[in-house]
Amino acid sequence: MSRKKHLEFEINLIPMIDLLSVCICFLLLTAVWLHVGAMNVKQAVGGQAAADTEKKPTVWVQMGGEGDVSFEVRDSRVPARLAKMKLSGKEGRPDQEAVKKYALELKSVEPGLTTALIQPQAASLYEDIIDTMDTLKKEGLIDLGVTPL
Amino acid sequence: MLNSSIVKTTAFHSVIGESSILAPESERKKRNGLVELLLTALIDAFSILVIFLLMNFSSTGELLMVGKGVELPLATGDVLERHPVVKVEDGQIFLEDKPVTADGLVQALLDLRENFTKNRPGEEFPAVLTVQADRRVKFENLSGVVQASAQAGFSDIKFAVVLK
Repeated sequence: MSRKKHLEFEINLIPMIDLLSVCICFLLLTAVWLHVGAMNVKQAVGGQAAADTEKKPTVWVQMGGEGDVSFEVRDSRVPARLAKMKLSGKEGRPDQEAVKKYALELKSVEPGLTTALIQPQAASLYEDIIDTMDTLKKEGLIDLGVTPL
Repeated sequence: MLNSSIVKTTAFHSVIGESSILAPESERKKRNGLVELLLTALIDAFSILVIFLLMNFSSTGELLMVGKGVELPLATGDVLERHPVVKVEDGQIFLEDKPVTADGLVQALLDLRENFTKNRPGEEFPAVLTVQADRRVKFENLSGVVQASAQAGFSDIKFAVVLK
């Protein structure tokens, strides 16, 4: 009986509960529920002459009304059918699937193409601009720029 | 009274507990009449909560205070760092929560740059600006910010997005 009593022990769980409660309170107070990131955009600043800058293949993306998106590739030897392209919108917004397909095709023809300049209109929605930039970025056009009105 | 209570006879009674070699419930019952709370389940729940919260934990904390009714666009962006924030809300522009006009933004940004160089001599100014705007905002409201930042020499703009 005495041996049985020796084996019978209980872990004191109260400090454990205290510790866990403090942990939960701290983590609840410091929790970040909305994970905010950033879409990076570079812009030209300073007074360097345009003639001095190195010519890099660039795609100009013009966002029109009704979600139309026009592309123009400059300083590159992409085929004429790809150099200028106009994609129609879908339900008044840019067709991101079509943009993705076009960007993929462009990258396969011109792998060195990493720069895209977005030219939105006054009525272009911020969400559409970000969506288009996101699509282009996913396809390897990592140097993005936005031109003001 | 405790011995005859419904709690004593149902909730804390189990077949496994009765047949336990180390601490049979029948033995305990005989020794004292106290009811022991089952703390294991509570600790399990607490542990799951702690793990879940630890997975969501961010060491940088909340970098942007997104106002009520403001919805940031969704995108697969990069990590956001602490930089001067320009907010565009209801057509009004705020620089670090202070309202500024579109024309006054250039000067306010230049003042920021000047303060930085004054306070931290020898350190290079990062020239990065975070822009926070609602996803439904039209570009005409943002164009002024883009233009002002270029004029003030901010070469990088980080548009705040909610990560997909």
